[in-house]
Amino acid sequence: MLRGRPKALNRRVGARAWGRGGVGVREGREVGGRPKARSKRRVLIPALKEAREEARRRDRGMEFQTVGSERLKARPPMIGRVGQETWSRPEPTERRERAAMVKFQPSLWPWDTVRNNLRSTLTEMCVLYDVLNVLKEKKYMTLDPVSQEPPPSKQVLQLCGKKKSLAGAAQILLKGADRLSKSVAENQEHKRQRDFNSELLRLRQHWKLRKVGDKLLGDLSYRSAGSLFPHHGTFEVIKNTDIDPDKKIPDDYCPLDVVIPSDLEGSAYIKVSIQKQAPDIGDLGTVNLLRRPTQKPKPGTAHWQTKLEAAQSVLLCKEIFAQLSREAVQIKSQIPHIVVKNQIISQPFPGLQLSISLCHFVNDKKSQKVSVENQRPDDHLYVLEHNLHQLMREFHKQTLSSSMMPHPATAPFGLKRMRVVGPQAYDKGEISALQHNEGLLEKIIKQAKHIFLRRRTAWTIDSLASRIEDPQIQAHWSNINDVYESSVKVLITSQGYEQICKSIQLQLIIGVEQIKVVHRDGRVITLSHQEQELQDFLLSQMSQHQVHAVQQLAKVMGWHLLSFSSHVGLGPVESIGNASAITVASPNGEYSISVRNGPESGCKVVVQFPRSQCKDLPKSDVMQDSKWNHLRGPFKEVLWSKMEGRNFVYKMELLMAALAPCP
Amino acid sequence: MGVCVVSQIPAVEGKSVQQTVEMITKKLEILGAVKQGTFCVDCETYHAAPIVNNSGQQGKLMYVMHNTEYPASCFALFENGPCLVADTNFDTLMIKLKGFFQNAKSNKIESRGQRYQFSDFLVKVGTVTMGPSARGISVEVEYCPSIVSNDCWNLMMEFMQSFMGSHTPGIPSVFTAKHDGIYTPTDTVIQYMELFNKIRKQQQAPVSGMR
Amino acid sequence: MEAPPVTVLPVTGGTINMMEYILQGSVLDQSLESLLHRLRGLCDNMEPETFVDHELVFLLKAQQGSPFILRARRSVDKPTMPWHLRYLGQPEIGDKNRSALVRNCVDVATSDTLNEFLIEMGFRMDHEFVVKGHIFRKGMMKIVVSKVFRILLQGNTDNIEPLSLSYLVELNVVAPPGQDAVSDDMKNFAEQLKPLVHLEKIDPKRLHQA
Repeated sequence: MLRGRPKALNRRVGARAWGRGGVGVREGREVGGRPKARSKRRVLIPALKEAREEARRRDRGMEFQTVGSERLKARPPMIGRVGQETWSRPEPTERRERAAMVKFQPSLWPWDTVRNNLRSTLTEMCVLYDVLNVLKEKKYMTLDPVSQEPPPSKQVLQLCGKKKSLAGAAQILLKGADRLSKSVAENQEHKRQRDFNSELLRLRQHWKLRKVGDKLLGDLSYRSAGSLFPHHGTFEVIKNTDIDPDKKIPDDYCPLDVVIPSDLEGSAYIKVSIQKQAPDIGDLGTVNLLRRPTQKPKPGTAHWQTKLEAAQSVLLCKEIFAQLSREAVQIKSQIPHIVVKNQIISQPFPGLQLSISLCHFVNDKKSQKVSVENQRPDDHLYVLEHNLHQLMREFHKQTLSSSMMPHPATAPFGLKRMRVVGPQAYDKGEISALQHNEGLLEKIIKQAKHIFLRRRTAWTIDSLASRIEDPQIQAHWSNINDVYESSVKVLITSQGYEQICKSIQLQLIIGVEQIKVVHRDGRVITLSHQEQELQDFLLSQMSQHQVHAVQQLAKVMGWHLLSFSSHVGLGPVESIGNASAITVASPNGEYSISVRNGPESGCKVVVQFPRSQCKDLPKSDVMQDSKWNHLRGPFKEVLWSKMEGRNFVYKMELLMAALAPCP
Repeated sequence: MGVCVVSQIPAVEGKSVQQTVEMITKKLEILGAVKQGTFCVDCETYHAAPIVNNSGQQGKLMYVMHNTEYPASCFALFENGPCLVADTNFDTLMIKLKGFFQNAKSNKIESRGQRYQFSDFLVKVGTVTMGPSARGISVEVEYCPSIVSNDCWNLMMEFMQSFMGSHTPGIPSVFTAKHDGIYTPTDTVIQYMELFNKIRKQQQAPVSGMR
Repeated sequence: MEAPPVTVLPVTGGTINMMEYILQGSVLDQSLESLLHRLRGLCDNMEPETFVDHELVFLLKAQQGSPFILRARRSVDKPTMPWHLRYLGQPEIGDKNRSALVRNCVDVATSDTLNEFLIEMGFRMDHEFVVKGHIFRKGMMKIVVSKVFRILLQGNTDNIEPLSLSYLVELNVVAPPGQDAVSDDMKNFAEQLKPLVHLEKIDPKRLHQA
């Protein structure tokens, strides 16, 4: 081991010596014969390598011996293990030896190394021999079995080992946990990102999006549906991912948010109402409206969806209002429409005003406004509001469908009907008819007029029915109406006699400006929108009904009709309609009843008695004969109000029963 | 659109064209016709330029006409030939065709005047001018509710007699030429073209008392 | 009252001097579907429409110089629509700044007597063909993807055969002159159709030479 020190150095030198030799050979060859050098080198290099290998093998063979002897010298007490160790780790010593040889014994003659090895072998053999001798004599040295002491404190060692391995495992686990928590955090971040993308995907399914620069812009306008409203209606999609992870994430958190134009925020609706200066029609349009509660997002729909839908509805309301106000200014009507701020006022009928207003609430101001709003009753006409929306959509659809693709394909874009105008030589009238289009306002005013007329008709009929008990009025409204027309069937009957008194059945067709009355016999009467006309008409019909009822009753009771007139020319003049009269005679002809009924004067019933029954009749000189007693006598008025019976027809029945002889 | 009869009324002896027109319109107003704005029918004449390599077409004249009653249309026609109804872009096309078809500016002829409505009838009394001078009087009577020409003829004749008297025209050739008897706006334009051609020819032979 | 002088008369006539800006290209039949799909996405969302047109090209020959060409087209699938008479001027390639071919154009809608009338005017029918395809619209722009069919029997639009295995793609805008900005819009749109189809300025003169 003495020579162990400079081993690294020696080894390097040795290696260099070998390398240099090789290079030298190569260079020499190259310089010597250039043209041949390349072809020869290929042969040369493997040859050189072989030589080197051989030399190395040679060295190794020699070294084994050297190493073995060295070991023996160095570690006499561990003799039992010598062979093992030598074979297992031959490499370092081998190199060391070689280096040493190279350094201290320059090859003087070829057998030098062999001699050296032999010598050292001899030396070692001698030493071995000496040692064996000493051992044999057992005087100075004995071979004793070495007590195999157990590995000291194995348990401690095990403990230590376990501890160490546990610590290692723990560390690995901790590291893993750390990494896991990190990746979870990262995942969440990713998830949020992914959520944003999936939300964006969902958004794309419902809304039109496009990318402008690094912004995502969407379109919430109705332009693609045919709207011509100039509002651009763009919204911006923003990422809402930079949320503080420590704070609690709110329930309605959404990684995607939308920014809508400020003028479309909040909620809006179109309010249509009809007011009357004189409050005599109290219940008209005074349906109480609870303010729409702030829309709670439906479960399952995203936050942005409700936000965009609200903005879109605001936009539609604005469009409707803009369209209406434009028309209100353009249309020439007898009474000009008034557009003030967010209200359009029109006068469909004298003394009546239709107001259409745009109500737009922006969220922050809402609380204050609501309180004010709640004070006065809302008088919405929901149907008209709904129809306005519907009309607007229809308008959209119309603009969409009217601009069709050109045919033939080379023809310019344009309205189909305008293209036909030239070649088919439309005249002035036809062209202006094409261009004229009834606007939203005109339509809605017509609808409002109709609704008003219908309500007033209903009110008139109802108030008459409640005021007049006899005869009764029944109104059967048809459920299916047109926006400009509806109908009601009016029956005038007497209570308890519905089956026999069905004389008056009226069909009222309520239009926009007037009411058409169709009688049972097919007569048609047109009434204007004035409520008085309808009322008067119904009153005259009621008075006629009574007389008709008497006629029907007489038929049932077996009385004979003597005369009937629905328009009597005698007696006091009625302010509305005409009085009607009927005279019927009892089955045996002794009595007769005459009824005159006028819408205003009411009814007057007189009974004619046979002459024989009249005691206070002055004796006549002319009619001496008893046969004259069969002649009818004078009329006597019946105190109708004193008569028993709940209604006119009942009273009449009692009267007839009283006057007819018992069978 | 209904059935039209276009005819010419000569100026009354000793009166100018303008005075005669006034007389007729006064008559109409007395009848109860309501004035409803003005009307104009114009006609430009084109002939093929000599460079056109088509000897057969040389003699033919092409007329391009407009009628304010059909404001979106332009009528192009040949005498006794086909008639094309187009939109007003046809005029732009004629400008492009300038090298091939030339129009004689002095040949532009038109009829302008008042339009009267008398219940179902439309009456247009116009002064026919060519260049700066008035050449004659045109009267167009339209019966709006029908498009079957022969069915209306007797009624229209009766109506025309009420204000045109002895100048009531005979049945127009377009009424009889059609086999289906359906009247079209083209027929009105053809009648005007024939009328204008007649007036042009009259102009060539000097007529006294026209002016 | 003297009749007003002729010069005072209002100038009758339609739109003055319109220009057609045009870009052209073609696609093979097999890539038609993907192009239509792209166009459906890019264009205004109207119902995509197909068309079948019959075009007749008429010439009016002059003794010298080039003949005057008019194109008469009618819709075969919508026979109630008026005939379309079209004049197209000489195309101008223009400089590189302008991204589309420009030519003068006059569009006239006419009655169905057009054929007869043009012959009466001295025109001669040069050739005829049938075009079938799809029309799209994007604002002012019209995109026509069509196939040209040869008519085998003169005047019979049922007896036809396709001219090629590809579809002609045309992008055009009709606008008043001097609105070169539209050509930039067209260029942008054409960019979006790449690489399905390359729409370019194609000079018909070059085609004739080749």
